[in-house]
Amino acid sequence: MSENTHNHSSKNGEHGTVVSYLIGFMLSLFLTVIPYYIVVNKVVTGNKLLVTILGFAFVQMLVQIFFFLHLGRGPKPLYNVLFFVATVGLIVVAVGGSIFIMNNLYRNMSPYDVTLKLSENEGIAQVGNIKTGACQGLNKNHKVVIKTGKVTPVLTEAHLCDTLTFINEDGQEILLVFGPKSYGGEFDKRVNKVKPMSITLNELGTYSFTDSKDPSVSGFFVVTEHK
Amino acid sequence: MTENLVHKHAEHEEQSNDRLMFGFWVYLMTDLLMFGVLFAVYAVLHNNNVGGPSDKELFKLPLALTGTLLLLTSSFTCGLGMIGARKGSVKQVLSWFSVTFLLGLAFLGLELFEFTQLIHEGHTMSANAFLSSFFVLVGTHGLHIISGLLWLLVILIYVVKRGLTPSMVRKLGYLSLFWHFLDVVWIFIFTVVYLKAFV
Repeated sequence: MSENTHNHSSKNGEHGTVVSYLIGFMLSLFLTVIPYYIVVNKVVTGNKLLVTILGFAFVQMLVQIFFFLHLGRGPKPLYNVLFFVATVGLIVVAVGGSIFIMNNLYRNMSPYDVTLKLSENEGIAQVGNIKTGACQGLNKNHKVVIKTGKVTPVLTEAHLCDTLTFINEDGQEILLVFGPKSYGGEFDKRVNKVKPMSITLNELGTYSFTDSKDPSVSGFFVVTEHK
Repeated sequence: MTENLVHKHAEHEEQSNDRLMFGFWVYLMTDLLMFGVLFAVYAVLHNNNVGGPSDKELFKLPLALTGTLLLLTSSFTCGLGMIGARKGSVKQVLSWFSVTFLLGLAFLGLELFEFTQLIHEGHTMSANAFLSSFFVLVGTHGLHIISGLLWLLVILIYVVKRGLTPSMVRKLGYLSLFWHFLDVVWIFIFTVVYLKAFV
């Protein structure tokens, strides 16, 4: 009887031994206590922490699957592995898809005041024609003077929420076209001697502006985050 | 000749055991899918507390850690009991699985303690979407634990009454698979619900 049992287990090796259970148990303990320690002591924070603890959970799942559930050990249970992988795939799609879609929905289809609030949190100064209040008190004004076809300064370095004013000292009105595509939904602005034109810098990045009639009249502005 | 027949018989039985095991595995995977959907619901709704207290203010990490360690240890003792069952030792089966049962019961007690405390403070299932999804996710796991404990109790009574027949060993095998599975699910609850609250 005992020899039979021995034969049986050695033949397909799908059952654990005391040692393998002990290894699995120890690994699981470590993989539980370490993320707990990391979270309580705030060793890392934010998204990094989230990824870390999810990583620990995933590794712990693999450990338990291997040492406790004995998946994939022995000749037969290959179907089991296949089924398990398919199930995990479905769950990843269902959970990931739900989070992704609902986040998008929340961000883009909320009531108007929620959108304004979210925009304010993200440092966007203006939604449509309504100021969100995101940039109050922070802004510095930068001036770009266009005189006899020369732009000074050619490069303006600014922070988010600053304003940029274009002053045209020539008699003729010019149409400034923003590049590479547009700035904050603005494609172009008319600037004439009577009325300087300002824009609020609520998008990060490097942009250009060019006179639509004379491409040599052009300049750049770089918008960076506030420190 | 007879030996050959016996061998064939044993092989046949093993094959049908494998098939039964696969059937149980299919059940576990569908159960996992259900938990997956509940996780998705929790992930989407866990911020919708309508001005009520957030997850960070409600959950107690040491309590959750204790529960996790209890369940983890019970999974380990369950494995040891299974080794005893394969060796044919009734004594080992009874002792290790009794430990498993008690640890599972302690885990359940902690969970019920947490639930009653929350409800007592007015944080009921119907307070907001966050609490609904929390109670459904963790409560479903708790219900599985309860059924696992009942199942274990019944099997232990049978083992005492009839001894360790091959069919009993097989049933213990399903049960231990179920118990390890619940442990894996709990690891994700511990991470996604409790640890994530303090990120």
